[in-house]
Amino acid sequence: MNGIRKALSHSLSTKVILSTVLLSLGVISLVGSALNSRLSDGLRSSSFNSAISESKFTFFDAEYKLAISRNSTVEERKKILADIVVNATTQVVKEARREIIFLKVPSKAKLKVSYVMTSARIKEASIPEDLRSKVAKSNNIENAYAPIEEASGVNREVLIVGKRVNIPSGGLYEMYIVFSLENQTATLSLIRNSLIFTGFALIFLISLITWLVLRQVVKPVREAARIATQFTQGDFSQRMKIESQDEMATLANSYNEMAQSIEQQISRLENLSRVQQRFVSDVSHELRTPLTTLRMASEVIYNQRTSFDPLVARSSELLAAQIDRFERLLEDLLEVSRFDAEVAVLEPVEFDVVALISRCVKDFEIGEVDTESGIRIVSDAPVVQLQADIRRVERIMRNLLSNALDHADGQEVVVTIVATETEVGIGVRDHGSGLDESALIRVFDRFWRADPSRARVRGGTGLGLSIALEDARLHNGELDAWGRPGQGAHFVLTLPRKAGATIEGRPIKVAPKDFHEENFYL
Amino acid sequence: MVVDDDQDLAEMLGIVLTSSGFDVDLVSRGDEALEVFRNNPPDLVLLDVMLPGIDGIEVCRLIRQESMVPIVMLSAKGETQDIVRGLEAGADDYMQKPFRDKAELIARIRTRLRRTNADVTGLLTIGDLTIDVTAHEVHRGATTIQLTRLEFDLLVALAKDPGRVFTRDSLLSEVWGYRHSTDTRLVNVHVQRLRSKIEHDPEHPEIVMTVRGVGYKAGGPA
Repeated sequence: MNGIRKALSHSLSTKVILSTVLLSLGVISLVGSALNSRLSDGLRSSSFNSAISESKFTFFDAEYKLAISRNSTVEERKKILADIVVNATTQVVKEARREIIFLKVPSKAKLKVSYVMTSARIKEASIPEDLRSKVAKSNNIENAYAPIEEASGVNREVLIVGKRVNIPSGGLYEMYIVFSLENQTATLSLIRNSLIFTGFALIFLISLITWLVLRQVVKPVREAARIATQFTQGDFSQRMKIESQDEMATLANSYNEMAQSIEQQISRLENLSRVQQRFVSDVSHELRTPLTTLRMASEVIYNQRTSFDPLVARSSELLAAQIDRFERLLEDLLEVSRFDAEVAVLEPVEFDVVALISRCVKDFEIGEVDTESGIRIVSDAPVVQLQADIRRVERIMRNLLSNALDHADGQEVVVTIVATETEVGIGVRDHGSGLDESALIRVFDRFWRADPSRARVRGGTGLGLSIALEDARLHNGELDAWGRPGQGAHFVLTLPRKAGATIEGRPIKVAPKDFHEENFYL
Repeated sequence: MVVDDDQDLAEMLGIVLTSSGFDVDLVSRGDEALEVFRNNPPDLVLLDVMLPGIDGIEVCRLIRQESMVPIVMLSAKGETQDIVRGLEAGADDYMQKPFRDKAELIARIRTRLRRTNADVTGLLTIGDLTIDVTAHEVHRGATTIQLTRLEFDLLVALAKDPGRVFTRDSLLSEVWGYRHSTDTRLVNVHVQRLRSKIEHDPEHPEIVMTVRGVGYKAGGPA
C-alpha cells in the first residue's frame, strides 16, 4: 500500500495512467451495460412479438381445424390434434424448438374422452398455475415467462403462450405453445461477452495510448528537471534543448530566458564583488609603498626629536604612533580582503600551543608597564602539540589577549588550555565590564566596539576579533563568545588537533566554570 | 643599489641607507637596472618586484646569471606566490612593504653583507664535497660549484656541525639574521635551490637532508 502511494506521489506517469484506467473503466462499463440492456430488450421484444403472432396463427389454425371436426369421430379428432401438435412443433427448422400441450380446463363435468396431449417433453406441472387460471377464464391469448424443468433436470427460461380452445365433444381445453428462449439467451450472452471483451481491449488500448502520449510529455519534463537540478548545483551554462514549436518549446524558451537572466545577474554580482574585493586589495597594496616612505621619513624625524622644540617633538611622536596604527589597520584590512576573496591559505605546521601562548603572554607583559593586568595560564598538560597554521593561531591569541586586557579593568586574565584526543580548547576569561546580549551578537562584527566612548588603550583596529573568527573557521575550528554585564567575558577557541579535521566537541564550555546562572539572576 | 619605481620611496631608502653609511645607486626602471649594475657592481641589490620595463623577478634572474651578489626583493604584495617566484628567480631574501622599521631593513642588509660563520675557517668536508670557507669555494673533486653567498652560508651553517638538526627557525636567525619570524618558506626554497646545485639527485638528497617535522641536517663526510 505504501509502495503504491509512493509510486503515485513520485511518478506522474503512474498517476495519470492509473486515473485513466479507472475513469475509462467507469465510462466503458456504463456505456457497455446500457448497450447491453438496450440490445437484450430489443431482442426480447422482437422475439416476443414474433412468438405472439406465430401463436395467433397456430391458435387460429387449431380452432379452425377443431371447428370443422365437429362431425368427426373421437379418433379422427385426436388425429387432428396430433397433426396440430406435429405441425406446430416442426414448423420452422431455423427457429428454436417449440412444444405444444393441450390441457383440460378444470371443470366439474366428467367426460369420457380426454384430449390431453403433449409434445414430448412438457409436463402439465410445468405450466404455472396463475397462467392456467388466466387462460381458463379469458378468451384472449395469454402469455408468461417461466422456468421449465427439462427431462435432464435443467431449468430453462421459456415463453409460454396459451389460449382456451373448444374441442367439440371434449369441452374446453387450454392450448399452450412453449417457445424455447435458447437462441435468444445464446445471442444475449454472445453480445455481453463481446461487450466485456471490447471493454477490456479498449481499456488496455487507452492506457497504452496514454502511456505513449505521456512519454512525449514526461520526457521533456524530466529533462527540464534534470537541467534545473544541474543549474541549482551551480552549472549555470545548462540550457534546455528546443526541438519543436509546441508548449514544451515555450516552456524551454522561458526557462532558458530565466536561466540566461539568472546567469547574467550572478555573473554581474560576481563581477561586482570581485571588482570590490580587487579594489580593497589594490587600495591596500597601493597604500603600502607610500606608507613605507612615510614610515621611514617619520622614523628619521622621530630619531631627531630631541633636537626639536617640544611641540614639534611631540608631533613627531604622534606621527610615528599614528603611522603604526595606520599600518596595522592596513594589514588587517588586507587580511579581511583575503578572507572575502577566499584566497586565504592554511599553512599548517606541528607546534606546541602552550609554548606559543606563553610567548604571546610574555610579549604582552613586556609592554604592560603602566597597567596592572596580569595573565595567568592554566593548562592540564605542559605540552600540547597542535597541527595548525602557527601564524594564524598566534594572531588569534594576540587578538584575544589584547581584547581581554583592554576590557579587564585591571583584573586578572586567565587563559585555560584543555586538550582532548581530537581537539584543543583555549579559553580567555576576563572579569571586566563584560558584554550584554546585544553586544554578544555583534562582537565579531567588523569595526564594532563594545563601548565607543572607551579609550583605545591598545589601539586595536576593530578588525581583530572578526579576523580571529575567520582564522578559526579556516582551521575548521570555532570561536565562541560569552559575556554578562559586570561579569566579564569568556572567549573560547576550539581547534582540531590535526589540520583538515573537523571539531566534534568543545573541550571548554563557553559559559565559564566560575559563573553560575542562578546566582546571577537572584 | 636600490631599484624601485617609486621615486620618493627610492629617495627615502637612499637617505636612510646613506645615513647608515652605505653608498647608494638609485634606479627607477627595470630595463636600466642591468646597465647600472654592470657599470658599477654593487655589494647588494634592493629590488622592487613591480617595475616598469622589465619586472623585478626578471631583473633578478638576469643579475643572477652574471653575479652571485646578494639580492633582497622588496614587495608590496605579501602573497605566497610572489614571494616564492622571487626566491626561485634567485633572490636571497625578501622584505614586505611596509618594513617593520628601518632598523630591521638595515639589520637584514648588514647580515647579507657580513661574512657569516666568521668563526669557521679552513676546509669542511661533507659527502663528496669540499668546502673552502676561507676562499669561499665549494669543490666536488676538481670541479668548482658556483653558489650564491647565501647558499654558501646556508651550506656552511649546516656542514660545520654535521648530523645536528637545525630547525627552520634557527636557520632563519643564523643565516638570514631574522630576530623573530615565522616565515619558513624562505628556508624551504633556498634548501631546494642549494640541493639542485650540490646534490647528485635532488629528489633523493644525501648532503642536505630533511628531518620530517623538525628541519634539516647535513649528512656526515663520505
